[in-house]
Amino acid sequence: MSIAILLLTLTLGAYFIAVIEGWAVHGRFSLTRPALSAVALFGRESLLARTPDRLFFEAAPVLLLVAGLLAVAVIPLAPGLIIADLATGALFLNAALAYVLVALIMAGWGPNGGYAMIGGWRFLGQFIAYAMLIVMPITAVAMRAESLSTTMIVTSQADLWNVFYQPLGFVLFVLAAMGLAWLPPLDLPNAPGDLAGGVEAEYTGVRLAVLRLARMVIILALAGAIVTFYLGGWLGPWLPGWAWSVIKMLVVTTVMLTTGRLVPRVREADLLAAGWKLGIPLALANIFLVGVIALVVDI
Amino acid sequence: MMHGARTGMRTGLRRLIAGAMARDLCAFVVPGSDVARARGLDLARAGLHLAATPRHANVLLVVGTLPPDLRDAATVAYAQMPRPRAILALGADTLAPLPAADATGPLTQVGLVAALADLRRVVANGAFAAKVTDFDAPALQTRIEYTCPMHPEVISDEPGNCPICGMTLMPKEASASSPAAHQPKQSAPAHQPPAVAHAAHGHSTHTAAETPAQYTCPMHLEVISDEPGNCPKCGMFLVPVDAKPVGHSGHDHHDHHDHHDHSKHVATETPTQYTCPMHPEVISDEPGSCPKCGMFLVPVEAKPEDHSGHDHDGHAGHEGHAGHSGGPAIDGIEPHFMSMVNLTRDMPASADGLKMEWIEVPFGPFFPGLPGGLGLTLTLDGDAIAETRVQSLVGGSIAADGLTPAEFVERFADQSPLCRVANRQLACLALENAASVAPDARTATARAAAVERERIASHLGWLASFAAQTGLVWMERRAAAKQLSIQAAPVDQIAANAASLRAFLHRVRKTPLLRAKLAGNGRIGEGKPVVGPVARAQGVQSDARAGDWVYDALGFQVVTGTGGDALARLHQRCDEINQSLELIARAKELSVPEPQNIGTVTGQGQATVETPRGAAHLVVELLGGKLVTATYRPPSAAHIDLLADLIQAQEIADALVAVGSLDLSPWGLPA
Amino acid sequence: MTGSVWELFFLVFFGLAAIWFGIVVFRTHSMVRSALALLFSQTAIGAMFMVMQAEFLGVLQIMMMATEMSVMALFMVMFMMDPGGMGAMEMSHQKRLSLRAGGVGLLAALAVSWLADWGPAAASIPDASRQVELLGIELLGRSMFIFESAGLTILTSMIAATMVAIAPRKPGGGT
Repeated sequence: MSIAILLLTLTLGAYFIAVIEGWAVHGRFSLTRPALSAVALFGRESLLARTPDRLFFEAAPVLLLVAGLLAVAVIPLAPGLIIADLATGALFLNAALAYVLVALIMAGWGPNGGYAMIGGWRFLGQFIAYAMLIVMPITAVAMRAESLSTTMIVTSQADLWNVFYQPLGFVLFVLAAMGLAWLPPLDLPNAPGDLAGGVEAEYTGVRLAVLRLARMVIILALAGAIVTFYLGGWLGPWLPGWAWSVIKMLVVTTVMLTTGRLVPRVREADLLAAGWKLGIPLALANIFLVGVIALVVDI
Repeated sequence: MMHGARTGMRTGLRRLIAGAMARDLCAFVVPGSDVARARGLDLARAGLHLAATPRHANVLLVVGTLPPDLRDAATVAYAQMPRPRAILALGADTLAPLPAADATGPLTQVGLVAALADLRRVVANGAFAAKVTDFDAPALQTRIEYTCPMHPEVISDEPGNCPICGMTLMPKEASASSPAAHQPKQSAPAHQPPAVAHAAHGHSTHTAAETPAQYTCPMHLEVISDEPGNCPKCGMFLVPVDAKPVGHSGHDHHDHHDHHDHSKHVATETPTQYTCPMHPEVISDEPGSCPKCGMFLVPVEAKPEDHSGHDHDGHAGHEGHAGHSGGPAIDGIEPHFMSMVNLTRDMPASADGLKMEWIEVPFGPFFPGLPGGLGLTLTLDGDAIAETRVQSLVGGSIAADGLTPAEFVERFADQSPLCRVANRQLACLALENAASVAPDARTATARAAAVERERIASHLGWLASFAAQTGLVWMERRAAAKQLSIQAAPVDQIAANAASLRAFLHRVRKTPLLRAKLAGNGRIGEGKPVVGPVARAQGVQSDARAGDWVYDALGFQVVTGTGGDALARLHQRCDEINQSLELIARAKELSVPEPQNIGTVTGQGQATVETPRGAAHLVVELLGGKLVTATYRPPSAAHIDLLADLIQAQEIADALVAVGSLDLSPWGLPA
Repeated sequence: MTGSVWELFFLVFFGLAAIWFGIVVFRTHSMVRSALALLFSQTAIGAMFMVMQAEFLGVLQIMMMATEMSVMALFMVMFMMDPGGMGAMEMSHQKRLSLRAGGVGLLAALAVSWLADWGPAAASIPDASRQVELLGIELLGRSMFIFESAGLTILTSMIAATMVAIAPRKPGGGT
């Protein structure tokens, strides 16, 4: 039963993300356009490039979707409402999302085309920039919760949300999450202005529909992760827990999708430099600070 | 009937899908959204989404009549669109070789909206058809090029063998219309094999000590020569016979356990079997070519005399990719191991020292963010630019012979949709110069105001393209909207919107991280022939308006900037927009240049006008009141030549931003 | 079927998958496929760990191998000829040595697993969250020295490798 509710929430959440993204890109808020696009996509030809690596080309969207679904499986919407309450939930989330990289490499390599190839390998470069920044803040969060389970992480924030306790970690994690979901300004793999669609360029028809759905699910999973790790999950007055989770996830998604587009696309060299020279020292400082505070203050 | 329909019976589900498609139209604009905006089409307001790639589009939107080269390119784009696909042509006379348009209309916003409504009906009804004919066109034919799998820089139009390693060239598809006949590019020739560097491999006493300075071919060991050169059999560069004749190795991959004192045999012994370095399963009794890949077969090492009963596994001597002067043998690896470091030794390296495969990628003529009609083909070395090839697909001069002045002005203006008013001004002034008449102050000022209005519109259009390139969707939308509203606006409306335009520009300049993206990008060296905002952003005081009495009366001063990089150019164009607003406010009157009656005049006239991209020059010759010739020098001609040097070895995103910052207009350039 | 039968089934399934992907690594001509096949082989091993209720180890294995093998795929594309496998080249070298080394390794692994004294099989194991706790205490207790020195060694070699790889700049520019 709870799985059914979760899947429903997942579907609606993914749809809402599509609506918000359409609004951010086209400036118009249309509730029906994503549905029309999806239906239209099913009717279009699924083209195959010449001499592709067929296995990779076909497998990439599916792997992306599987990675997203596995990541969503460990996000708690309410105290009992979680698909799989693993003891190492936070780490499992990260493990599942690591396959986004594998899927995009496949998607870049598969079509045997210039734009996709550059997009795929660029994503690996982007990954090297954000990889540490997505793991180290989780370390600090787990330190406070004294557990890796996502449910325990949420309950540990009952007194004070992590966004106030570890703001540095929050900022780094949100930026890294935007890099992982290749949201602007970190959309190097599909760069509409540089690469004419990049990794997504060669996909049409049903495969494109799966790819876009997978991306929505990943964004949803990341929003869920941010809410779970930093914004107190289901905690909040008056409304039931799941309502708070959903509201927070939607707010986070909207912020991620809209604020990023205010800034031009980051250059890859700048991203790598910022990630390693600035990001990693800050992440380490965050861990240190959290450790000191955890020892000294009793929260 | 929709030509681009998809095969299928119109079941209920398909009808639903077709209806969804009709309401979800995604357009790929040809020649480009910059041209569409310059023509006054507001695609967003009409409800069309724009696609970055033809694969994600279902409508090919043709804006205006296209020249033949561009039509071929549009055919390729159309063929890439997945079915069901439709064509919407606005103001286009002929579309061949594309199929007939599914909806047409005049080149106005009203026409666009009406044609879109038609198109939606056509798509909803015709997206699926029972019988569909396939689409083909000469532009879609592909040509086979031949390339070496080991040396991708070797390209030939005919089958043959690679001059470097001897392998049979493999076929590769290339567009039939791409610039033909690559000269077989070779990597830097004649890298002599490295000086004999005897790797100490623990075998002392070899004949090489007794026969110094002999050279042999790595693939044909029976060839011995006293001096370096090329192997007569395969053309490979001869390597010195070092202390390591083939077949001995202290290398344990051979199953020679007692390999310590090998006799030095191979140079004199004739090997009995031949094998392919890349396909060891191929064994042949005589030299020749491998049936699988065409490489010259190499002799399998023969059993040296003092080995007892070893079973060769047939490919001992040359496992891996032999057949290359792969440098001195390395301990632990079989001889002539094709080390990638050695193989790529002479490949051109990008600035970071890495040598990667070269791929040729087209970035035009319909690339979003770049000027439409500019055929840019970049050879990428990894993700950095190695070579550039630029071509205008919308160029060409206009045949002016026999035209009346009025006709000439119209044609000349239509030739460059991006700066029509400036071109009209140019043509009118040139004709009046030939007739030695000058317009009165009021007309001249009104014309100047029209030119300035177009300058504002053009720079806003550039800003929208730049925003499209860098992913700033809000800026693209606002700039496009402002461009469309100011393009045909009368003076009072311009004055009313001036404040919001200035505020918009201020916000543009204050975009966070803009400096990080643009600073230092696209700098052109001193002393290069640059014109227009590009020159002024460098600090060069070059502006054709500077000496003009009309502009002096309006209080014009040349605006320059410093830095000469993409950021400076952005600021320069914003400054020029502000300046043009002031000039229009002072002019108070605005009218598009119209040709005056110049009577039947014979003679030559010339004029220079500062178009939004730089000074353009026109020389006309008249005979009896009709045109004979017209010579036009567009402003972007100088910049096109600078392109290759500008983006050499840049990373692709930086290179595209640099190209965009030049604001090239391919219209009117020599083709 | 009872739980342990399911466990056995999945164990065998993932084990066979790991072996199969491992074989694909060498059978395929495409370098990128080879790298990603290795990746999925390691993922299968991680799944085996999770079936054997070593949850932390399994998740960690899955996570690390995904990123590591992807970087390896990148290096294969950078350094190897014909990464797409289109030329069907023979990409393996030193076959005899490899076979021998593989055989020796197999025998050693079998010897260790059969002959070592693993102690009695545990009747029950702590649940996953308790395992993580115990693991943490172990890492910061008895094994701290080993892990810290290993971590420092890895960091040092990373920095050293990066520095060695940067081509020295010639005076006057150029590499």
